[in-house]
Amino acid sequence: MFKLPALVQKALQKLPEQPPAFILSQTLNWVKQPLWPEEDFSWLEGRTVRLEISDLGCGLSYSFANGRFIPSQAPADVCFAASLADYWILARRQEDPDTLFFQRRLRISGDTELGLQLKNLMDATDFSPLFARLPAPLRQRLAL
Amino acid sequence: MPATALPELVCPAGSLPALKAAVDHGADAVYLGFKNATNARNFAGLNFTDAQIKTGIDYAKQRGKSVLIAINTYAQAGRVAEWHRAIDAAADAGADAVILADLGLLDYATRVHPTLHRHLSVQGSATNFEAVNLAHDYFGIRRAVLPRVLTLPQVEYVIKNTPVEIEVFGFGSLCVMAEGRCILSSYATGESPNTHGVCSPASHVQWIPQGDTMSTRLNGILIDHFAADEPAGYPTLCKGRFEVNDATYYALEEPTSLNALAVLPELLRIGVRAIKVEGRQRSPAYTAEVTKTLRAALDAAADPRYSVKPAWQQALNKVSEGHQQTLGAYSRPWR
Repeated sequence: MFKLPALVQKALQKLPEQPPAFILSQTLNWVKQPLWPEEDFSWLEGRTVRLEISDLGCGLSYSFANGRFIPSQAPADVCFAASLADYWILARRQEDPDTLFFQRRLRISGDTELGLQLKNLMDATDFSPLFARLPAPLRQRLAL
Repeated sequence: MPATALPELVCPAGSLPALKAAVDHGADAVYLGFKNATNARNFAGLNFTDAQIKTGIDYAKQRGKSVLIAINTYAQAGRVAEWHRAIDAAADAGADAVILADLGLLDYATRVHPTLHRHLSVQGSATNFEAVNLAHDYFGIRRAVLPRVLTLPQVEYVIKNTPVEIEVFGFGSLCVMAEGRCILSSYATGESPNTHGVCSPASHVQWIPQGDTMSTRLNGILIDHFAADEPAGYPTLCKGRFEVNDATYYALEEPTSLNALAVLPELLRIGVRAIKVEGRQRSPAYTAEVTKTLRAALDAAADPRYSVKPAWQQALNKVSEGHQQTLGAYSRPWR
């Protein structure tokens, strides 16, 4: 498992959250159509989701309004917290989120139903249309 | 020794990627449900649209595997049409079988879709051969899934006395196992698995972190409190810790997973026709891991030198709910 140097961690905590939240929202808007063509995200409208990176002591929040993902500074309706390494494990589907939850490595607070809806959306997502758009060397490097 | 026909490995899918994971890792059949209260895993964002079911069935069939659709809750008064529609949709989609518990639905399926195979769900609570045979006589059920309350000799006794294929659980989270009869959660939420397809609806669940500790509340009722790093379980009443006579403990049941790897050769010998894995609520990663492990174990189980490999045990330990695994009722020497 990788760990960031303490100096980098400290620097990350001091940086504003808005730029990464903006990048995340833009990325989600970009992949929305290929990944979730049938999903209207009405259940996410006006709700704020926060992803906290527990080992770095920082996080970012996003929301959904008028058909688009946007960065948010509102209080979170649901908050996920895990280490950066565990987010990476989840993103690559190497572990089941329930397993990490049982082991207390993934925490969910706030609106549990919204959290479950997001978890199940990620589980139901077929990422192949997206990976097909990545250049082959990058695909191989990520072992996708 | 004569070749023993291996039981079918029946694996769970809560989404299309999970179905593909099951098929790719060695399941013989995948079971799934619609996005509504007609199945016992009616969770937000889980399960299949009609289009996803069609895609899933195509994927499985192209690889010689089958798809079973669970419509295993009890049709609610005034809303029976929803359950009938689910059976019609399963038949239209080309499912290999429907898994039903409600007698009215079994009757409907028998009359309207006589060629669609019918399995009696574990929620149907048939624990003896008379009950299984009655469902066979009336509804021509092809298979029955036995509740997890029988010892191996009892399972064998049922098999010897019925023409119906018998399916048993091989792995997954355990509950108090009053299958088809549990209304415990209605006490807290007014909803239960048989009526709403869910025993702890997420809208009633609150995880409340307090520093490194965490409390779980179900509709406001405190059902557990976890110390830092203490393993957590599902937020169900039956697995909560309660204060009884000044002691706080798992008053109903400790979170535990069933693991039947050790008795697979016995299950083969007594003629079990299918082995089921619990967990439609879990992710594709779980389905892949458990399917792969059970496939390897089942393929090895007919060999007289069979023993449970530590690697299988490790793989299953990792994804298990609770602190322990058990053979459950299969092994009950104290009878």
